[in-house]
Amino acid sequence: MSTSYIGIDVPDPAIQKATRLGMVVDQNKCIGCWTCAVACKQQQNVGIGLYWLRVLTVGGDAMDTPAGTFPALTMSYQTTNCFHCDNPPCVKACPTQATYKMPNGIVDVNYDRCIGCRYCMVACPYDNRVFNWRTPVQEPPADVAVVGETPARPKGVVEKCTFCVQRTTDGLLPRCVIACPTGARTFGDLDDPDSVVSVQLRERPSYVVFPERGTEPSLHYLIRTGPNAEGGAF
Amino acid sequence: MSSVTTDTPVAPAARGSRGLSLWIGALIVLILIGLGVWIYQLSQGLQITHMRDNVIWGLYIISFMFFVGLSAGGLIVASAGRLFDVKQFTPIVRLAVVEATVTIATAALLIIPDLGSPQRILNLFFHAHWLSPMIWDVTVILIYLVLSLLYLWLYTRRDLAARGSWMALGTKDTSDGARAHDHHLTYILAWIALPAAVLVHSITAWIFGLQISRGFWYSAIMPPLFISSALVSGLALVTILALVVRRTGRVSFGDDLIAFLGGLLAVFLAVEAFLVLSEVLAGYYPGIPTDAVHQLFSGRYAPGFAIEIVVGIVIPFILLAVAAWRRRPQVVVVASVLALIGIFVHRANLIVIGLGKDPIALPPGTSLGTPQANGSSFAPSSVYFPSIWEFLIVLGIVALCALLFTLAVRYLPLKEKTSA
Repeated sequence: MSTSYIGIDVPDPAIQKATRLGMVVDQNKCIGCWTCAVACKQQQNVGIGLYWLRVLTVGGDAMDTPAGTFPALTMSYQTTNCFHCDNPPCVKACPTQATYKMPNGIVDVNYDRCIGCRYCMVACPYDNRVFNWRTPVQEPPADVAVVGETPARPKGVVEKCTFCVQRTTDGLLPRCVIACPTGARTFGDLDDPDSVVSVQLRERPSYVVFPERGTEPSLHYLIRTGPNAEGGAF
Repeated sequence: MSSVTTDTPVAPAARGSRGLSLWIGALIVLILIGLGVWIYQLSQGLQITHMRDNVIWGLYIISFMFFVGLSAGGLIVASAGRLFDVKQFTPIVRLAVVEATVTIATAALLIIPDLGSPQRILNLFFHAHWLSPMIWDVTVILIYLVLSLLYLWLYTRRDLAARGSWMALGTKDTSDGARAHDHHLTYILAWIALPAAVLVHSITAWIFGLQISRGFWYSAIMPPLFISSALVSGLALVTILALVVRRTGRVSFGDDLIAFLGGLLAVFLAVEAFLVLSEVLAGYYPGIPTDAVHQLFSGRYAPGFAIEIVVGIVIPFILLAVAAWRRRPQVVVVASVLALIGIFVHRANLIVIGLGKDPIALPPGTSLGTPQANGSSFAPSSVYFPSIWEFLIVLGIVALCALLFTLAVRYLPLKEKTSA
């Protein structure tokens, strides 16, 4: 039967030869459904209590509450995962070179080398790294893996979003990009002017989180437009 | 042990043997408990601590900073005293070097329980990343440990040789000429030890102060602040230990030395107060209500900050500033204990506030790592208080420190023989 989609189950050569992989999230499209976060957990066998990708509610007092005072209310979300910064403070901080920058721009973690000192978590301005305080517990259990192709990590190491490094080195899209039901997430080479992310960033105003800290994130948000537009969470 | 009787009118070995055995026994029990809890922690992971993904570092790192400070402070006082030929220090210089040596070893040990994967600790050497302040710290602490041991050995080797101790490591000559030679060597080593002691704590400060992610830490004042905290806590501990050890007769000095140390501590406290004020004012003045500095006065960090300032600085400073009061050793001891408490709380505040202020304003409902046991499973909390296991492990390591110190005092000649 097979219909094959490039980047989903057929390798995309542009992703394979990318020099700075990046992601763009369209704030007009994000509905805060957490599908990306759940897909991420399945793909990467992330333990209970840990999130590589989480969804922030913008402005409200609690999860899923609007910002502002009635009737001037706005409701928006901002998904957050590792920004794979071009100037990553975590890579600088790591004493054992366990976290490192790949040639394609991904900030990866070598789980066999990490000593669990958590200095990278201290260095990350975005709280995007999580630590295995215990041997991770998966639900369903890791040996009944649903999608996950990533081996579970031991206790005592730091982990985080890898832009689905196992998929992207094969030229496939990260799982969260595929899973998003509204197509809010796009992925590609920021150094390639013709990539979908470069085109979007040219055509729409966008922002990154904490630009003043000089980390040069590779994850950009397209600013929300239209009625009740609201900026980012930060 | 013949030297013991020549050292002191009352043979301490005989006088304190029962108390000493009890003390050492109690320390060994604490060490074994700490070791057992650490093994338990290895099996369970760091989940048995109260550190979580928001407050990433806890009691282990706080104690680490505190002990590096105790060591740096002790050695700065000792080597500056030698370098500038402050004669008053002479009776306690060796004691201060012993203090610096055992506390830096303790600090190094305190890192190990904090590691999630301590079995890989050698990666720090095999895969050292030289841009990481943590590697700078590992390097400087190891060099500094060797330096302090060398310093201690230089100070004591002639006396050890005179006793025929194996710790003289082959040194035989105990003539006055040889002693004078060593005295000169300690002067040369003081030139290295003083900057090394300043560096060891500055680099510890840079582990925190170079991280732009943590607004509360990212400040050029961190190294000077750490050094001043080190001077306060190191000198306070040396003062207390000197008085304790004097009771065994292994060092001897007059109360005027304690008054002198008390006066010096008052100066250090004033410097500490000045630097804390500079830091807090710079954070407070712009009037950004979300800045963690504002929580020092009315927020949830206010009690800790009040202890730091009132108990740790104001009260001991007043006690020591009055000349008549600081001539009484009891007053100096009380002030020193308060100053130690204050510096410890200061360091705890630094860690917990620096980490507890989430870099990203986290809306409730977003779980960051394993939720803390504070009710709702979906409510991350940045309130940190160490768990009983953390206390027991730290207590075990501190007991090991006390044991090393006790043994050093018991077996090393601490009295300065040469007239400087």
